[in-house]
Amino acid sequence: MAKRVSGVAGFWPDEYKLLDAAKKTYAAGYRQFDSLSPFPIHGMDDATGIKRSPIPWVTFFAGLTGASFGVWFTWWTSAVNYRLNVAGKPLGLLEALPGYIPIVFELTILFAALASVGAMFILNGLPKVDPPIIDPDITSHKFCLFIPETEDGYSAEKAENHLKSLGATEIKRVAEF
Amino acid sequence: MAELSLKKYEFSKGAKGATWACIFVGVIVFLLGLKGDAERTWHAYLMSYFYFLSLGLGGVFFAAINHVTSAGWSVSIRRIAEAFSAFVPIAMILTIPLLFGTEDLFKWFNAEYAANDYLISKKTAYLNPTFFYIRLVTFFAIWIFFAHKLRKNSLDQDKDGDPSKTSSNLTYSVLFLLAFALSYSLFSVDWMMSLEAHWFSTMFGVYTFAGLFQSVLAMLALFIIYLIKKGTLQGFVSQDHLHDVAKYMWAFTIFYAYIAFSQFMLIWYTNLPEETLFFMMRIKGDWFWVSMALIIFKFIVPFLALAPRAAKRNFAHVRNVAILILLTQVLDNFWLVYPNLSTDKVIFGYIEIGLFLGFLGAFLLVVHTFLAKHNVVAIKDPRLEEALHHHV
Repeated sequence: MAKRVSGVAGFWPDEYKLLDAAKKTYAAGYRQFDSLSPFPIHGMDDATGIKRSPIPWVTFFAGLTGASFGVWFTWWTSAVNYRLNVAGKPLGLLEALPGYIPIVFELTILFAALASVGAMFILNGLPKVDPPIIDPDITSHKFCLFIPETEDGYSAEKAENHLKSLGATEIKRVAEF
Repeated sequence: MAELSLKKYEFSKGAKGATWACIFVGVIVFLLGLKGDAERTWHAYLMSYFYFLSLGLGGVFFAAINHVTSAGWSVSIRRIAEAFSAFVPIAMILTIPLLFGTEDLFKWFNAEYAANDYLISKKTAYLNPTFFYIRLVTFFAIWIFFAHKLRKNSLDQDKDGDPSKTSSNLTYSVLFLLAFALSYSLFSVDWMMSLEAHWFSTMFGVYTFAGLFQSVLAMLALFIIYLIKKGTLQGFVSQDHLHDVAKYMWAFTIFYAYIAFSQFMLIWYTNLPEETLFFMMRIKGDWFWVSMALIIFKFIVPFLALAPRAAKRNFAHVRNVAILILLTQVLDNFWLVYPNLSTDKVIFGYIEIGLFLGFLGAFLLVVHTFLAKHNVVAIKDPRLEEALHHHV
């Protein structure tokens, strides 16, 4: 769990202004800042410079693991550990593979899905039971940009002036976010 | 919003000449083939005919599902699918020569053979030439009617921007999709499955449909890339549209594999002689390698190649995968038709290539002429605004 940071938050009344402010903040050299809004905003990833998440890779390799495990496990249970003659079907790995595929398929999905959700939780630092609140209105009608103290060359005054220059309607210092 | 103006698409003289040259090659090969080996020529004709008819119908299908779902993002690429649908009437005309080949293609066309073969004698209520022709006419009547209505409403809307045409198309689309599901399945049964009339599979219609949609999306992707390169779609279609079409293509690559495997696995598992027959023909001799090539190049390669996001947004990459999918769809139709003609040995030569070129020429000629004649984008569609702001 990352330790809590303080910083400066600026507010805008609509998403277009926030998107514009995020672009300008990125252009001004800020890299650690984040945007908070009641709903997802198209283009915000690029504007805040958020990199692609590594989750697709987790999904891919977890799926691959699930598939390999499925092949091995169905083969081991039905052809090695307890040989079962089902309607005279062959038992060799290659000859019997069509019969294994449904289980391989299910295990691929299961592994990939669970690993993706797990990776999402870890990367987002979830579960977070008492998230600090910058402003309750962010969940309904305010659009916020938060500049944390971890930013290179951060000073509260500088960040406040920057947000003011972008036309933030309200600015406040946040102690523990 | 900046004013957008739609450039007219020019079908260059050289390109037009090339399509006519292809058609010419096709006709010559067809006539030479009929003199030399008529049976093989009819099989080659059927293969290419089915392929391009499916692309044409796929165009109607793509337009229809986007109407039914009231999709906004696809409005600016829908006209390309409508251009494909212009090929359906031409395909109807191209059916006529094929009617002379039915005796060579379908053993059950011979009444004596059908009566004396026990399994087929039980199917003659459905498999008889009269009913076959009735079905054929009905299917084309349905397809051409709906393709025409959907296209006409869309083209008329370019002039007056009347939103009621969009709701009218919604109704036609719902009716078309219902009719299409049944008619295309039965059409596949008639022209593909009954090549070996002893065999049957209740999944066959879904199988041919999976190939149809996979390949029509690939063709759509190619046209989008081509028209963007030409500058005709400037401002109307972006990388985001291509991304979604590629995503669609990827999804239906998986769908194809899912359907193909489901059909195979149930037959393999049940192991009844009259069902396994179809796959026995396709794992014997050289056909085994064709079957393997389908699994690898129609599913595994496109699946891996289109998985990353960056791959779906890269024009050259999507183009290559789309070409691969279109080629493997040819291989798929080849795999469906040819084992009936030649067991064990794979035959492929100038007859197959020539006839394919002929149909390709006809298809491209129709589509490009349509695009050059009309607006390349449905410019007055009420949902166009949504498509212009499409963002993935």
